[in-house]
Amino acid sequence: MNFTQQLINGLVLGHSYALIAIGWTVLLGVARLVNFGHGQMYMLGAFVTWFVMSRFGLPYLVAIPIAMAVGIGVGYLMQRTMLQLTIRQDLVSVMIVTLGFGHVLEGVAALFFGSTGQILDTPLSVRDIYIGDIWITWQDIAIIIVAILFFALLKYVVEKTRVGRLVRMVAEDPKLALLAGIDIRKIYLGVFAFEGAAVAIAAALIAPRTPILTSMGFDQVIITFVVVVLGGIGSITGSYVAGIALGLFAAFFGAYVSAAYSTAAMFVFLIVVLVVRPGGLASRPGAH
Amino acid sequence: MSAPAPATPVLEARDLSVVYAGNRALSVENFQLAEGELAGIVGANGAGKSTFANAMMGWSRGAPKVTGDVLLDGQSISALTTPERVRRGLLLIPENDLVFATMTVSENLAHAASARQAGGRRIYTTDEIYDLFPNLAERRNHLGGQLSGGERQMVGIARALRLAPRVLMLDEPSIGLAPLLVTVVLKTVRTLVDEGLTVLLVEQNVKAAIRTVDRLILLERGQILAEGPVDEMKADPRVADAYLGADT
Repeated sequence: MNFTQQLINGLVLGHSYALIAIGWTVLLGVARLVNFGHGQMYMLGAFVTWFVMSRFGLPYLVAIPIAMAVGIGVGYLMQRTMLQLTIRQDLVSVMIVTLGFGHVLEGVAALFFGSTGQILDTPLSVRDIYIGDIWITWQDIAIIIVAILFFALLKYVVEKTRVGRLVRMVAEDPKLALLAGIDIRKIYLGVFAFEGAAVAIAAALIAPRTPILTSMGFDQVIITFVVVVLGGIGSITGSYVAGIALGLFAAFFGAYVSAAYSTAAMFVFLIVVLVVRPGGLASRPGAH
Repeated sequence: MSAPAPATPVLEARDLSVVYAGNRALSVENFQLAEGELAGIVGANGAGKSTFANAMMGWSRGAPKVTGDVLLDGQSISALTTPERVRRGLLLIPENDLVFATMTVSENLAHAASARQAGGRRIYTTDEIYDLFPNLAERRNHLGGQLSGGERQMVGIARALRLAPRVLMLDEPSIGLAPLLVTVVLKTVRTLVDEGLTVLLVEQNVKAAIRTVDRLILLERGQILAEGPVDEMKADPRVADAYLGADT
């Protein structure tokens, strides 16, 4: 096994994990809520991109915003449906509703797109770069660049802008935010819409690396869960670091031990990190 | 005791009732707060003081049945959400939850009403806030979670002043504070009233309230038992015996 190749694989995988988890990071950081339909929203983003490109022949760069728009719509609809549960912070009901919503999405997607696997080829995924023994596609490079830009932009918006400040106020104390005149319903709706858009762009970029199936949502939600918890719940920097760490771990474990057990190994990694650092890899009090 | 009706009510409640699972927590037939007045609602723990303040804001713990009418400047605001009431100038500084602990003092005060939202009401600038509370100026870069109880109370008041208040309600501002700090906070409240603000103080510390307010309202079991000018109320046995002791 080529160590450098595994390093690159790990970095690409890590940025993919981080990108998939970015919406959940904000969701958990702001609404203190989980969305177990996140994986199915990822699946939907991948299939919408594929459908728009294959059925209508639209370019990749047009398909991505369409997938994002659908993601925003689904996120908004989901949050609109359970807004009262969110405001009451009824976590158990929200978990069940989002889980159910995910299964409904999966069923509808299977009806609409069919249950056979598809390949999402993009202009970037079919172009390789070889440097000696090292191989990478332009799709992989795009994933890394977009993930870095997305995380940097999100960190800037959350920490330096008025919208970010409002979001942080709602995250910390919804009641106090309400009494400060902030319409927390709009913030919650906005955060779910953002999650829908973020997971859709992640899907449009990452899904071309593997065949897409309507049943692939569960794997994505598991990875997202590990990344977000490992990074320190709600921490933007933490999610990025955790995504990279997990990607490198998965790549080297898969290459040098066994790819078949990499998910189990990820959870062992998660348990060890949480025992040693209960706040996650990169968290500190008040970190974002 | 019959209450002297304030001349120009800024804030009113009519037949305001809060019922939790069949249990009536609050039943106030008529409440009025006049322009520029500093009134205090006092009562024992569980009398319904916070329930009243929360109901005025359109906020409640749990999901009680709230009926009746709340009016601000003569207009009903009962159908408005809490943020909409805030934008109209009705502000509540809640008990305990005073600061955003992971944000600096500056960030806590950065959230302000826009001139359009204020509609001519005064928005205190951060410089004016720091003149009013010099402690906060020194601690502007400290996180809210690092502040003392008194400083947190100051941030709570300061943030409300940034939101262009028409009426400011303070829920138990003396709770957890040393007597000297209680005096400082309540003197600041008096200063704000002297500058034209209308304030409703919700207090369990009756002695502190009496030293500060113009009019006292005694709440018991969710109902207004007595109200009147503070000098009259001090002599009322229901206040004197239950809350002030023999020394007063």
